[in-house]
Amino acid sequence: MYLKQLNMVNYRNYKQLNVQFSPNINIFIGKNAQGKTNLLESIYYLAFARSHRTNVDRQLINFESPFAKVSSRIYKRQTSNILELVTSNRGKKASINHLEQKRLSAYIGQLNVVLFSPENLNLIKGSPSQRRRFLDLEFGQIDNRYLISLARYQRILKQRNTFLKKMTYQKEPDFLYLEVLTRQLVDVAAIVIELRLKYLTHLEQMAKDIHFQISNQTETLAFHYQTANYDFKQKNDKQTVVDFLINQFSKVQNREIKLGTTLIGPHRDDINFEINDKDLQSFGSQGQQRSCVLSLKLAEIKLIKQVTHESPILLLDDVLSELDSKRQAALIEIIDEDIQTFITTTDLDSVSKELQHKPTIYEVSNGNLVNKGVKNDPK
Amino acid sequence: MQYPLPIAKLIESYMKLPGIGQKTATRLAFFTLNMEIEDIQDFSKSLVEVKTELHYCSICGNITQEDPCEICRDERVDRSSILVVEQPKDILSFENMGEYFGLYHVLNGVLSPMDGVSVDDLNIKSLIKRLQDHSVKEVILALNSSSEGEATAMYLSKLIKPSGIKVSRLASGLAVGSDIEYADDLTLKRAMTGRQEV
Ligand SMILES: Nc1ncnc2c1ncn2[C@@H]1O[C@H](COP(=O)(O)OP(=O)(O)O)[C@@H](O)[C@H]1O
Ligand SMILES: [Mg+2]
Ligand SMILES: [Zn+2]
Repeated sequence: MYLKQLNMVNYRNYKQLNVQFSPNINIFIGKNAQGKTNLLESIYYLAFARSHRTNVDRQLINFESPFAKVSSRIYKRQTSNILELVTSNRGKKASINHLEQKRLSAYIGQLNVVLFSPENLNLIKGSPSQRRRFLDLEFGQIDNRYLISLARYQRILKQRNTFLKKMTYQKEPDFLYLEVLTRQLVDVAAIVIELRLKYLTHLEQMAKDIHFQISNQTETLAFHYQTANYDFKQKNDKQTVVDFLINQFSKVQNREIKLGTTLIGPHRDDINFEINDKDLQSFGSQGQQRSCVLSLKLAEIKLIKQVTHESPILLLDDVLSELDSKRQAALIEIIDEDIQTFITTTDLDSVSKELQHKPTIYEVSNGNLVNKGVKNDPK
Repeated sequence: MQYPLPIAKLIESYMKLPGIGQKTATRLAFFTLNMEIEDIQDFSKSLVEVKTELHYCSICGNITQEDPCEICRDERVDRSSILVVEQPKDILSFENMGEYFGLYHVLNGVLSPMDGVSVDDLNIKSLIKRLQDHSVKEVILALNSSSEGEATAMYLSKLIKPSGIKVSRLASGLAVGSDIEYADDLTLKRAMTGRQEV
């Protein structure tokens, strides 16, 4: 899939922008704080109806304006759809072909995007919540069932946490209602975990191959999904997960009541990465962690292709300068398979020569874009 | 500039209704200003009477002018089954369908800790008390399929089951997340015949 043009009104430092893109490689070049990331962010926003940099939509609205609007027509193999997001202090409106979508779960997934930015390099070392967020966004954009189950999980979790908080201070708490909430939570938790395991297993297989290549055939990458400090494998069916969770919940019940919060479930789960059977978080070098994240991102592209039969759009924000030629080569191999790519950089020199193969170059300055045309093959 | 007091107060009153913000309230207030005085008198009378003339039925929780309500008093009603609903207006949906001839019980909401609704806020104790009368053989739970509706149904069935009374739930002719209020007769009929014991 690709976008031919992008329209923005009052988005960040873009007052009004209407720009045409190449279906292949687009490079945005400019000094710092000119609006390069803002541009990629707007495409990401159009895909997920949320920014990767903030949870506060108000920050996306131009300082001097009451609303922000982003829209584009997305071309797929068989169809094309117009996506539009408008955000104001009254909330956001997402529409497909001018039809407003009441539920975001009906909107997300129309546009598939893979973003790679320097912050992602922290994925291995960073907090578990970053890794869960990664899973939720990536699997949410390819499987509507995942989005819906996750939303339902979060709602029941909120009810259960509120109830547990109340139980903490009650003389005669209602254990029957807690049992009901636990059962309800476990049922949907099992669906979320089942889907996470399913897609993670695919992702692992593909990332493993890519990582093996980048590491000159020396490193074998492996993922482990952990729930309640227990390694889960895909072969666990839903009933096994349900039984396991119910058993775990019975063990922590007293602590949950004392602390007034839910202690186990997908909102607490994590993934561990291993290289040659050694934990990457504790023992991996920075270079290994980088390769792992790159492999993961590239595997994500393949997973999206496999599930949706369309190539996602790739956004590379200031990340090329962080990747050496070997890693850039792995990237190029994937991009060559016909993926619309948006690259930002302050300096064309950090962009590998192969990536400069006939890209369309735009100069970004202070919320304006100037199309510098197609750069001729430097070779 | 501020609006004259009577209109400002009317705007404020309209804003107390669900889903009505300042803009709509202002439009409604100015519309009211141009209405015939007879219509306005009828309107204000209904507003007061809905509160003074209507009571909750002390048995089933339905809204009624006389206590107990018409259905609870009706000799022809099948007293072996109780249909449990969230709101009084749900009773109307089932009565209009014309396929159910038993008693009702209005919970007046669903369990929702987030909204501060707990067991004591709902007509649950009165339901359990009604079941002590041995004529009741079946309780049918007709709650919405929101996660709160489902949890409430599960809670009630766990509460009632030990007494040996049959508990069933409306089958999922109702789409997930849908409201009984908006279900058409056919959907309700299908849900009713396909109800499952829980
Ligand atoms: N809501 C907003 N309204 C106007 N300008 C904004 C808004 N949010 C950020 N900016 C401006 O955008 C610029 C940063 O853009 P960014 O895309 O992050 O830069 P870079 O080109 O370095 O990637 C800053 O000048 C900042 O002041
Ligand atoms: Mg930037
Ligand atoms: Zn009654």
